[in-house]
Amino acid sequence: MSEIGQNLRVVEHATCTFCGCVCDDMDLTVDLDAKRITKAKNACTLGRAWFAEHTIEDKPPARIDGKPATTAEAIEAAAQILAGARLPIIYGLSDTTCEAQRQAVAIADLMHGNIDTTTSVCHGPSGIAFQGVGESTATLGEIKNRADLVIYWGGNPAESHPRHFTRYAVTPKGMYIPNGRKDRYVVLADVRRTPSAPVADLFLLVKPGRDFELLWALRALVKGRKIDPSIEESTGIPLATLETLVERMKSCRYGVLFFGMGLTMTRGRHFNSGAILALATDLNEYTHFVAKPVRGHGNVTGADNVVSWQTGYPFGVNFSRGYPRFNPGEFTTVDLLSRGEADAALIIASDPGSNFPKRAIEHLKRIPVIVLDAKDTDTTELARVAFRTATYGINTTGTVYRMDDVPITLRPAFDSPFPGDEEVLTALKDRLRVLLNEKRGGALRKAA
Amino acid sequence: MKLAFHHRPEVPIEAEVITPEKLAGLSEAEVSALPLQYGNERVPLGEFFRVSGRYEGEILVEGDLSRVKMIGSGMSAGRIVVDGDAGMHLGVGMSGGEIVVKGNAGDWVAPDLSGGRITIHGNAGHLVGSAYRGSAMGIRGGEILIHGNAGNEAGNAMRRGLIAIGGDCGDFGGVNMCAGTLIVLGRLGARCGASMKRGSIVSMQPAPLLPTFGYACRYEPLYLRLYLLHLKRLGMSVGEAHIEGPYRRYSGDAIETNRGEILLLDA
Repeated sequence: MSEIGQNLRVVEHATCTFCGCVCDDMDLTVDLDAKRITKAKNACTLGRAWFAEHTIEDKPPARIDGKPATTAEAIEAAAQILAGARLPIIYGLSDTTCEAQRQAVAIADLMHGNIDTTTSVCHGPSGIAFQGVGESTATLGEIKNRADLVIYWGGNPAESHPRHFTRYAVTPKGMYIPNGRKDRYVVLADVRRTPSAPVADLFLLVKPGRDFELLWALRALVKGRKIDPSIEESTGIPLATLETLVERMKSCRYGVLFFGMGLTMTRGRHFNSGAILALATDLNEYTHFVAKPVRGHGNVTGADNVVSWQTGYPFGVNFSRGYPRFNPGEFTTVDLLSRGEADAALIIASDPGSNFPKRAIEHLKRIPVIVLDAKDTDTTELARVAFRTATYGINTTGTVYRMDDVPITLRPAFDSPFPGDEEVLTALKDRLRVLLNEKRGGALRKAA
Repeated sequence: MKLAFHHRPEVPIEAEVITPEKLAGLSEAEVSALPLQYGNERVPLGEFFRVSGRYEGEILVEGDLSRVKMIGSGMSAGRIVVDGDAGMHLGVGMSGGEIVVKGNAGDWVAPDLSGGRITIHGNAGHLVGSAYRGSAMGIRGGEILIHGNAGNEAGNAMRRGLIAIGGDCGDFGGVNMCAGTLIVLGRLGARCGASMKRGSIVSMQPAPLLPTFGYACRYEPLYLRLYLLHLKRLGMSVGEAHIEGPYRRYSGDAIETNRGEILLLDA
């Protein structure tokens, strides 16, 4: 960190927490008077917008029923709601630090509630597939230094993760990839020609909803089984193209399959993820091959890691009986809300009010909702208690996990008058512990 | 014994106590005092059910039980009749006896079933007779009869036993199947039998098959006739044409052992 003027400061090697790339080579110029980042060197268009838009807004630190309140008042109100709930749910967590996520798991455990992250609406199916199929994995650093065949499936990194190509997987020179782009063969499979398509040497235009069939055909070819030429009619890709691709896959030195929500959130879901993971496993009979999900939010990978190491399961975990149980479909938030089951919700750094199905949002409107967010969102609009918190990575330090499970420490740019998520959640946990002790102690005496 | 469900809960109830083993020999008051898991609290059964009579081989449960999970959990003998809809995990871990649901059933009908019979007169949700996530094996025996439709992944990783669906079945029917029989009188969804190792999937309608299933022959399998006559006796709408066949046999999944089969009625 260096001072370059009275009111300007440069934060070197700062981290952008906008997307799962978590690029940690930002040089941020910060105007300390205006409390804003004026320049973000090395950031992509998404990163520049992320840094420019997170300023300090002149808003109250909390609202209860829409009226301004102090953080302490809001913590008391939130604790009362959660202490009285039978099936309180926690959701979100992908845009906050691992330290805050830990507190959220502790709250779910304490109140015997349900905890789920935005993973359940993006790569949750991959989480199910990891459990069923396993994962041949690598860090992005290893991929940068070694991969000579890079396949993207069901994703559009040029628009969603702009630096994925340039920093990790397509153009950078690596230890065994001395000529960068020239040493790599790049394949992109998608249902439409996106702005990512021009980067590919081979573009596979897959018929919508036929990814599973195509992956299954590739698996069969890798295993030396015969596939009927009618595969072109059902998937849109000629058999000869698949055969050539399989030969290339088997003969590369180090291959990688990156997959996105085009696989996980279309018909087949966890089986689509399972198919691509199994394809990578099959190919290890011939060469080194790995498969990695391309994760969206800045610390969604951290959410998976924290919830996993604290409960044993990555998402959709229920503590109603005092111990963790995992069952996607039963304990995942969209399903719980759509069936109208939860009776209170704590939403952390996420906006289900704008992106959940209508039935789920309608139920959110019926129950008391507590929200922690740095910005006003559709969810803060419908909340009973809304906390305004500091932005992770810009105002608070902490740990985030990059999409390849590498933890990175954040270097904040300037202070915020608002508390961080971790601070609010810790205070909420402490207050809740007192309330629940009173409640359960009373219940115990009554039973005796 | 009759259990009348008298008011709708705000959040789901887990009622693993509603099973013959737990209720046999208890008085009405003792049954009313058994615990239900109501969200994160334990409440006495009497708070939601009016109990009448003693258990003499049959439990009649009345009302809309779509929010009541785990009815018939671990039962090994006796009979439960649900006059209404049943919630998730009906008959979880069941090894004997019979459950009849007159309405619809939720997701995960009879996971870990190893014996006994479950009959659903309406529709069932996803994952009928299927493995739980993280478990390598689905049902290991017993019979599940769904008169209506079923959701996705019916018979996921089933190891033995019979699942019969009178209506249509969702995607991935019999996925990861190790053995056993899945009979669908209506239509199969997409990608049935993916990763199946052995076992039989039967449908009376044309079905979209994965590229890893290959046509083997056209024949009249004798065993299927026995299964279908059995299902007919149990009241499922099996027609003469179904019993007579012939069927087109496709073998797969070639990615696995290629020893499973999909039989499609060749009408």
